Amino acid sequence: MSAERLPLTEPPFVRRLLIGVTLAYLGLFLLVPLAAVFAKALERGLALYWASVTDPAAVAAIRLTLVTAAIAVPLNTIFGLAAAWAIAKFDFRGKQILLTLIDLPFSVSPVISGMIFVLLFGAQGLLGPWLAAHDVHILFAVPGIILATLFVTVPFVARELIPVMEAQGSEDEEAALTLGAGGWQMFRRVTLPNVTWGLLYGVILCTARATGEFGAVSVVSGHIRGRTNTVPLHVEILYNEYQFSAAFAVASLLCLLALVTLAAKSVAERKRTLAVEPRSAP
Amino acid sequence: MSIEIRQITKTFDQFSALTDVSFTVPQGELTALLGPSGSGKTTLLRIIAGLEVPDAGAVLFDGQEATMRSASERKVGFVFQHYALFRHMTVFENVAFGLRVKPKPARPSEAAIAAKVHELLGLVQLDRMAERLPSQLSGGQRQRVALARALAVQPKILLLDEPFGALDAKVRQELRRWLRRLHDEIGITSVFVTHDQEEALEVADRVVVLNEGRVEQVGTPGEVYEHPASPFVYKFLGNVNLFHGRVEGNKVHLGEFTLDLPAGTPAPAVPPVAYARPHLLDIDHQPTTRPQFRATIQRINTAGSVVKVEVVGPSGAVVHVELSQERYRALALRKGAEVYVSIKDLATFTAQNMLGGGI
Repeated sequence: MSAERLPLTEPPFVRRLLIGVTLAYLGLFLLVPLAAVFAKALERGLALYWASVTDPAAVAAIRLTLVTAAIAVPLNTIFGLAAAWAIAKFDFRGKQILLTLIDLPFSVSPVISGMIFVLLFGAQGLLGPWLAAHDVHILFAVPGIILATLFVTVPFVARELIPVMEAQGSEDEEAALTLGAGGWQMFRRVTLPNVTWGLLYGVILCTARATGEFGAVSVVSGHIRGRTNTVPLHVEILYNEYQFSAAFAVASLLCLLALVTLAAKSVAERKRTLAVEPRSAP
Repeated sequence: MSIEIRQITKTFDQFSALTDVSFTVPQGELTALLGPSGSGKTTLLRIIAGLEVPDAGAVLFDGQEATMRSASERKVGFVFQHYALFRHMTVFENVAFGLRVKPKPARPSEAAIAAKVHELLGLVQLDRMAERLPSQLSGGQRQRVALARALAVQPKILLLDEPFGALDAKVRQELRRWLRRLHDEIGITSVFVTHDQEEALEVADRVVVLNEGRVEQVGTPGEVYEHPASPFVYKFLGNVNLFHGRVEGNKVHLGEFTLDLPAGTPAPAVPPVAYARPHLLDIDHQPTTRPQFRATIQRINTAGSVVKVEVVGPSGAVVHVELSQERYRALALRKGAEVYVSIKDLATFTAQNMLGGGI
């Protein structure tokens, strides 16, 4: 008796080939580099690893990265919720333009995103003279880094929420309305719980990008050690100074963060899929 | 609370969903909005609920203008076609929702909420399901939770959008009888939307027939079935035979039938059209004195309380006839037999079934 074959199942050698190619590709381009980062980081022993990540400049970079994320992520979460709510639940003129604008940071190179702020706030920029006259420092200072990070992470939460909210439609909200709920009650008790996992998924992606952003931040930061260096920038400086072990040690922190994010993401993703499942199932 | 719909018009983009719709729903009655899909019935229900704003016209509750009142102020219970239960809340919390969102001074105590929710769940026979999530319920159970949730805020009006649309035939039957009994118990003014004429005729006190955004007829189920006001209503409410006529001298040809034009009657200006429900026709083996035509039996369906017979006339037109089981056995009909199809009661027929002309 041969094994039962389902109509949509490929023959065994095709399956093995496809799986093999996928695994080889992933191994070559993801797992090997990831392993290399940790190998290189620990090459000269744990003591040096520890010294590299507790170096004052490294600690300052970690702190700045966390502060940046702590500001950029909540702001973009609020913006993302508001934008997704407006786009998914209402019809208005210019909806398509708003969607395109939200996607803009995705389509623009991060370096250009950084340049935008230089053009705006730089010494020769549009607002530069006024800022200089009032002794406000944006470029080559923390505000510039936060602004650049905010800009590149705008789409994440909104882009995650729009399809979820669109799939769920407005019936739940209408039901809440007919039961006497006001706008805020409707949002807090019905809309928000319905999108919890989609929202979390967006927040995770947003956090990952906010902590890992290099290009835009590099342009506006000025690379002042201990003051305007984020973790990715710090890694680059160490690398350029031939401190390979230290560079990879700090880089491994970003990798660890990425792994945690991935794990959180896969949980959120599974829950989100459950939330959008068709409701008319028996 | 009575509802008055006054000259409502609503257009979506280019599509006119409702045109000059007017009718009233008396206090305590169960009214059906009946029509095919696209007839505007759901739009009308949403306008009554305040989920849609009409372009023109007014909605009055107990004579009070309510057109511009928001949905949350109207105190109208709305049961959605797909129930719209809050999926992250238990059955209990779903039903309690309307009580919990009341402003603080009006909000009942936790104990009062629990008592009310359990009373309602008892009413819809779901008390044991209080801690379940909507996804763990069957379609019929979800429907009843949606109903309990709508009733929790003690609405003055209950609106139901295709309340049985998503259920299978058996549950549908049970649930609609149950809804009728429930309505009689609590006596709340109710309006439900349906495209199923049988459902409307069985459950409702009053039927509003809608077609292409206009009211075709308003009346009791008996009135709209026995005295349809337009060809549309006749056709929409059950199986019907349509006979196109023409006048020749003192004879009227109605499809396969030929009738004498009563002496002295002026010839109708427009070609007459007649409709006959299948039970108004009869079958014989021998010619009768009534208007009749020869036909061949094409199909016989004996399932049900009446026997449905399909015959083909000389011109190839298919005519449907319904016979009682006794009559069918007495005739001993079989497929392919040559028979005579006649009109049972000509007087009633010409008085009631002629439209667009009359004899």
